[in-house]
Amino acid sequence: MIRICFAFLVAGFTAAQALAAESNKTLFPAVQSGAGTLTIYSTTDLVAIKPLIEDFQKSSPDVSIDYNEYLTNELNALASEACRKGEPLGDLLLSSSVDQLLKLANDGCAAAHTSPETLRVAEWANWRDEVFGFTYEPAVFVYNRSKVPPAEVPRTHVELADLLRERLDYYRGRVGTYDIRLSGIGYLLAFNDARQTTTVFGRLLESMARASAVARCCTGEILEEVAKGNLYIGYNMLGSYAYDAAQRHPELGVVVPRDYTLVLSRGALIPKGAQRADLGARFLDYLLSERGQSVARTNAFYFTESGELPPGVDGPQNLKESGVAQPIRIGPALLAVQDRAQRQRFIEDWSQSLIELNSPAWTRE
Amino acid sequence: MRPEALQHGPSLFGRLARRISFVLFIGAALLVSAAWYYAETAANKAYDRLLVGAALQMAESLSVEDGILTARLPTSAFELLGLADRDRIFYRVIDTHGQTLTGYDDLKTPTPLERAQDPLSVEEGVYKGEPVRIAHATRILADPAVSGRAYVIVAQTNEARLALTRELTLRATILVFIMSLLAFAGAMLAIRYALQPVEQLGTEVRGRDPHDLTPVTVDVPRELDPFVSSINHFMGRLNERVDLLQRFIADAAHQIRTPLTALTAQIDLLGTGKLDKAGRQHFNRVKERTSELSRLTNQLLSHAMVIHRADSVQLEPISLVDVARRAYRVAIPVTVDPDIVISFEAPDDRPFVLGDAVSLREAIVNVIDNALRHGTDQRLEVRVRASGTQAFVEVEDDGPGIPPESWEKATQRFATSKSHEGSSGLGFAIAQEVANAHGGTLGFRARDEKGFTVVLTLPLYKGEVK
Repeated sequence: MIRICFAFLVAGFTAAQALAAESNKTLFPAVQSGAGTLTIYSTTDLVAIKPLIEDFQKSSPDVSIDYNEYLTNELNALASEACRKGEPLGDLLLSSSVDQLLKLANDGCAAAHTSPETLRVAEWANWRDEVFGFTYEPAVFVYNRSKVPPAEVPRTHVELADLLRERLDYYRGRVGTYDIRLSGIGYLLAFNDARQTTTVFGRLLESMARASAVARCCTGEILEEVAKGNLYIGYNMLGSYAYDAAQRHPELGVVVPRDYTLVLSRGALIPKGAQRADLGARFLDYLLSERGQSVARTNAFYFTESGELPPGVDGPQNLKESGVAQPIRIGPALLAVQDRAQRQRFIEDWSQSLIELNSPAWTRE
Repeated sequence: MRPEALQHGPSLFGRLARRISFVLFIGAALLVSAAWYYAETAANKAYDRLLVGAALQMAESLSVEDGILTARLPTSAFELLGLADRDRIFYRVIDTHGQTLTGYDDLKTPTPLERAQDPLSVEEGVYKGEPVRIAHATRILADPAVSGRAYVIVAQTNEARLALTRELTLRATILVFIMSLLAFAGAMLAIRYALQPVEQLGTEVRGRDPHDLTPVTVDVPRELDPFVSSINHFMGRLNERVDLLQRFIADAAHQIRTPLTALTAQIDLLGTGKLDKAGRQHFNRVKERTSELSRLTNQLLSHAMVIHRADSVQLEPISLVDVARRAYRVAIPVTVDPDIVISFEAPDDRPFVLGDAVSLREAIVNVIDNALRHGTDQRLEVRVRASGTQAFVEVEDDGPGIPPESWEKATQRFATSKSHEGSSGLGFAIAQEVANAHGGTLGFRARDEKGFTVVLTLPLYKGEVK
């Protein structure tokens, strides 16, 4: 089922993304021969990770990197299967679906790694020294400046829900969000939205359903459509991708919600028994290091835990100090997210309310 | 083997210290084991409650919707378990037909669920190769569509438990260690304090006057009473022996003196008239020998008496001049050669010494007698003087004296070179015994133009004189 969806989605991708997805394997040869090849399985877009890999190879010129990109659910399926068989998948797994990484670690598929760099990781972003969060990515709203008048730009979840209710006709079929059936991050974000103490997510879901919101597999796809003007507003987009797209498409606006902002930390995990666990650890240390973090801030993921928002982003000045940031803690609570019955139920409920009842025929898959 | 080890047995202090540290060590080891056991129990109890709580929460979340059993596992249950922040969590929800609803299909409780008695019991187990604690909760469903028992099994690894156990044990160990150190130090101090009376008793006995054979009266703890009474018993018996010996000496003196006196008298009664020249010669030799024997006996008795008195007579302050004058009178016979100039010289202040007048007199008599017999040619001077902390009795004669190389020998018994002249060689020995018993010395001053001097040196008495 996933395979079919994947094939279908690939067709809808832009040329560059389609290319990346078709030949999802990229090799970064070593400058000098020597240490060997580090195999990374990741869900991070090549564009985002490339500056980091290239900078890493400057300090470790003897390491070749074999970079394999997958969708979150695909990567999870591959890694679980590999762990079950006892044949570790690659030397390092990077996934934005930290709940899936956490489940892998809980199942005993991860190797612990401690180093001076791992000590710097915030407590909420480290579980058992096996799963590390190495980014700080708020879930944001994106909108098309030419389609959404400045007065209507939603700055909180409530405002978005109200907007969709008040201008139902205008926004019908013009709001995009993750299809949580396909996207692990989409599910993780939606699940955490549903856990908020207010009833705002229920209202928002209802409003989106009535506005026939469109569900897509990936951030990139929605961003493209918002940039083109097919969609006006994108909900729960990953901040890093959204900001990157906004730099390329000036008509894209990025809003960090002011009531609460879910913050996702992309996870990294070294599979147990990885052939080149040493190289995996080396790259992981680089990602967590001062230098790696600085490259990530300027070229890859833009947002940081302590710093200010990148220029041009509408939102509270400093996410941490304003107190709206709600980091998704990398801990056992994510096992509840990964529970299969839970997941099935949640997705069923979500699909029922958002897709099956309300979406127009052309958006259905 | 070291010689000290032979000389000294193990010290009481060392033995006590060793035994006490052994007991403390055993005690500490037991306490630490107990602490570890309690820490483990406490850690297990604390985290087992979380485990049971999570299982109950999960069981509570089971519901029947549209005739189907559904589990909406609460995130809070996992957060509860997440309080043990490094532990892996495994769970399984089993529906009324025994099928896995969600979770890990192969997770089982060690005791089959149907037979589990206590719903809140937590068991040890192994899952995925890791030791785990396993709890379960039962939910009884009475829905028409779904009825029966549904179960929730929750397992958790032991890392947080072990960490807590280690931490608690470590702290308890530190406490036990400190306590043991304090106890050891306290015990050592107590032993030292308790052994002090033994030391005191030793000092008391050692510092006693050798003549003092009265019972020891030092204040000792009850435990030392048998020891002290043994000492006192022994001293009593020793005292009896000394008394016996004194009586024996007195008897011997008496028994020998009487026949000797009789013998001398008998010899004097023998006339020399009827004897020829050779007979007279023999007679004179017998007379001389008898006189020598008499003198020797006197000296032997005097020596024995001096030794006995030194051990048994309490010293008391006496005037050295009086003693010396008396001795002078005794020692110079009436029959002394009138050509010899004899003088006695004493200072105006009368120096006192702590001593036994009888022994001292005997000593001085012997020195003067010796000078008269072997030294004096024409002059004999006896002087008493005091200087600083010492008093001196000097006997000077104008004879040839004793060469310095023979001084040491002169004071040994029967060691004189002049035995053929009738000397028994006991004179200086007696004088020296007496001097030593009084804390003084017998010395010689080399011959100068005036003469040769024998000096008896005694410490001056410092106290009040009655």
